[in-house]
Amino acid sequence: MPAPKKLTVVISQHQGRNPAKRKLEEDLAVALMMNSDVEVSIIPNLYDLSADHSGTLFLKALRGDLVVLGWLYPRAIQWILDRNGIKGRTGTVLLRGDDEDEEPDDRPDAIGALNVPDRLLYCIDLKASTDSQDFLDEIQRIVDETSQQTVDLMSWIQGDPKQEQLERYLNPKAILEADSGNNGSVADAENDEKVRRRWYPVIDYDRCTNCMECIDFCLFGVYGVDFLDRILVENQDSCKKGCPACSRVCPENAIVFPQHKTPAIAGADGEVASLKIDLSKLFGGGDALDMAVKERDIELVRDGRDAVGTSVGLRQRSACGERDELDDLIDGLDDLDL
Amino acid sequence: MPDFLTFMMGQYEARVPTDRLYAKNHLWLKPDGNRYQVGFTAYSVRLLQDVYFLDWSIDPNTSVHEKQEIGEIESSKALSSLHAPYDGRVLEFNEQLLDDPSGINTDGYGKGWLFHFETQAQPLTPEQYLKILEAGWEDTQRMIKGQIN
Repeated sequence: MPAPKKLTVVISQHQGRNPAKRKLEEDLAVALMMNSDVEVSIIPNLYDLSADHSGTLFLKALRGDLVVLGWLYPRAIQWILDRNGIKGRTGTVLLRGDDEDEEPDDRPDAIGALNVPDRLLYCIDLKASTDSQDFLDEIQRIVDETSQQTVDLMSWIQGDPKQEQLERYLNPKAILEADSGNNGSVADAENDEKVRRRWYPVIDYDRCTNCMECIDFCLFGVYGVDFLDRILVENQDSCKKGCPACSRVCPENAIVFPQHKTPAIAGADGEVASLKIDLSKLFGGGDALDMAVKERDIELVRDGRDAVGTSVGLRQRSACGERDELDDLIDGLDDLDL
Repeated sequence: MPDFLTFMMGQYEARVPTDRLYAKNHLWLKPDGNRYQVGFTAYSVRLLQDVYFLDWSIDPNTSVHEKQEIGEIESSKALSSLHAPYDGRVLEFNEQLLDDPSGINTDGYGKGWLFHFETQAQPLTPEQYLKILEAGWEDTQRMIKGQIN
C-alpha cells in the first residue's frame, strides 16, 4: 500500500483552564483530524514535561517534519524541544504575533545546536491569532511546502518507548473527550503522570556564544557544561521560580524563560524594546544588570544565604582592555543619524 | 558668561543653558521661587526625538526619592521610564504636555517643561552637567549602538 503523505502536528496545551484557549486547541484538533494530510496529537504543556514523561517520549519518537503549536514564542518552543533532544532545522513560519520580528538571526559567534537531523521543525505560537482558520491555513501551507514521504500511522513512531504508552497521543479525540470531563490536562485524564508547573531557563544555541557569564552569575547551580564544554542547563529544577536574572546578564539574550512576562525574556524575537531604544538607564532607571543583581539577592536571602550584590559572578565589562568588534562599530557611530 | 554651554553629540550641538541647574538623569531644574521648574535637556530630547506619549504614574504633590520611577515616555525612536532627579516632592505637572507632548521637542527649555519640583538637594551646575555628558558619552553611544544591532 502506498504510504500517504502526512505531516505531524502536535498541539501543546495551555497550563491553565482558560476556556478561550482550550477552545482554540480543540477547534484546531478537530479540524486537523479531518485533514488527511496531517496527523494531529495533543500533549500537555511542553515546558512542564519532564524528560521521562510519555509526552516527551512521544515527541522524541516522531520522525519526519514536525509542526508544534504552543502558547509560547516560537523560539521558546524550539529550544525547549532542543533541550529534550527533539531537533530539526528551523522551518519558516509565516504566522507570527504582532510583536514578532520575521528577521532571522544570523549570529556568526553562536555555537549552534548539536546533532540536528535533516528534518524541518515548525514552531507556531498559538498567541499569534485568535482565529483557528489562520492556523489551519498556515498548517496547510506547511503541508504544501513539505512534501515528505511518510509511512503509515504506527511505523511513523520509532524508538524505545512502548507502543501502548504512546498510543493515546495518536488518538486526540479521546484526549479531547477526557478533557471535557472534569479532569485537567492530557496526563491527568489518562493516567497518573503528573505534570506540575516548572520554571527553568532554556538556552538558544543559535545565539549562545558559550561565554559562561550565566554559569558564573547563577549561584543556585542551574548551569553546567557538557562533555564538549558547552554550556547547558544541568539542574533545571534548582532554578528559582520567577527569577530571570541570568537571562538579563546574558550578553547575547540567549537565555529564554518561556513563562516570563517580558517578551524579550520569554523568547520573542523582535520585542518592543528592541524596536525602540530603551533610554531608561539614562533617565535614572536601573539597567538589566542592576535588576539581575537585585533578583539574585532576593533569592539568596530567601534561601537563608547572604546577599552578594555585584561582588560575585560579574565580569568587569568596562575594564576589559581588548578591542572587539563592538569597539570598531562604535568608532563608526558618528555616521549614524543620532 | 555665555548664555549656554555646548556639548557635541556627534554632529549635533546640544545646548546647556547657563541660567539653570541640572540633574544627572538629564533633566534641567530652573529655580522658580522656592521650587524648581523641571524639564528635559537638549541632550535628552536629541536622543528621544519626536515624543508622542508621556504619562505620569504618581499624583501631583507626591514625595519622591531619587531615582524613584514617576512615569514613562515614548517617542518615535525610543521609550523610557522616567525617574525623580532628587529626593523631594513633585508638585504639579505641565498639563498641556499631557494633551500634546510635542512641546518637549519644540521648546524643551521653555514651554516643554515637565513638572514643578521641591528639593533640598543641591543640583548640578551647567559646568558639572557638561562634565557628566562628556564622561558618559561613550557609554551612551555603546548602549544605543548595542540596542540598534
